[in-house]
Amino acid sequence: MSQQNAHGEPKERKKKESILDLSKYLEKNIRVKFAGGREAAGILKGYDPLLNLVLDNTTEYLRDPDDPYKLNQDTRMLGLVVCRGTSVVLICPVDGMESIQNPFIQQEG
Amino acid sequence: MASGLESYVNHTVSIITSDGRNFIGTLKGFDQTINIILDESHERVYSTTQGVEQVVLGLHIIRGDNVAIVGELDDEMDARLDLSAIRADPLSSIVH
Amino acid sequence: MLPLSLLRTAQNHPMLVELKNGETYNGHLVSCDSWMNINLREVICTSRDGDKFWRMPECYIRGSTIKYLRIPDEVIDMVKEDVQLKSRGRGEMKGRGQSQRGRGSGRGTFGRGGRGPAALGRGGSNQGGNKPQNKARTK
Repeated sequence: MSQQNAHGEPKERKKKESILDLSKYLEKNIRVKFAGGREAAGILKGYDPLLNLVLDNTTEYLRDPDDPYKLNQDTRMLGLVVCRGTSVVLICPVDGMESIQNPFIQQEG
Repeated sequence: MASGLESYVNHTVSIITSDGRNFIGTLKGFDQTINIILDESHERVYSTTQGVEQVVLGLHIIRGDNVAIVGELDDEMDARLDLSAIRADPLSSIVH
Repeated sequence: MLPLSLLRTAQNHPMLVELKNGETYNGHLVSCDSWMNINLREVICTSRDGDKFWRMPECYIRGSTIKYLRIPDEVIDMVKEDVQLKSRGRGEMKGRGQSQRGRGSGRGTFGRGGRGPAALGRGGSNQGGNKPQNKARTK
């Protein structure tokens, strides 16, 4: 959505744009990693400039009890959640994200 | 600059990061938060079972948060070290 | 040379980013800001142990979680002109009594910690091009 002023002209250099345009992820499934190692994925319903997020249908990916940075296969449903922006480490779209084999081996050979 | 790093610019420095790693390279720049540009860098990996392994890395930006120590390296003296004969435990990381 | 100038110059170049949690991300730098927040495209994420790999089309990484970035060697040679342009711009601003960024004045605007318009134009082609009369300053 582009903002316009009363005269119908687009607002120019009004704001320093964030380098992250979360609007493109609205209603889409995104993966979020948090400080401390938690990871979740859900449908982005809303956000603010501080990176606070509203996710729906959220799944948390559970971790190895001995290693808080190692995922195991278990998940749990969290439903509708608010994610605190300050603890968000990484955001990426779930669509196109896939687990792959080591891609660096053949390059070195 | 208040950090005192200015005099190290374009000199070889050794950096120890908070995860216990040791990077060697040419200091090309820094800022208020001690973010550091390290050119032609390599990492020295210490072990008790074999000599020091040097891993060539190239151009790096190290975020200031992780920088524990920056020290100037005497190139001549460093060249005289026989790294293959040095055995040392790796440093452990800083616990916050 | 400032680390963030180097990072800005590295836009559109491939790089490796290691996070404090030990994960590494290989991808092309799309954009970065003054907090070192970055957008990468065509990313390969490697787990801390180096045993799991994910491909992702793009990702956003908060700057404060970065441990270091590995940048192609040639990028450092591309920064230099940039730095010269910048110092010229800075001298200009001093002459106009605008040496500070407009930090903190941006409350209520959409962006965070809005920079003044002076900062936006700094070292940019507009200003640099319009005011070529700046002399080499002796320090």
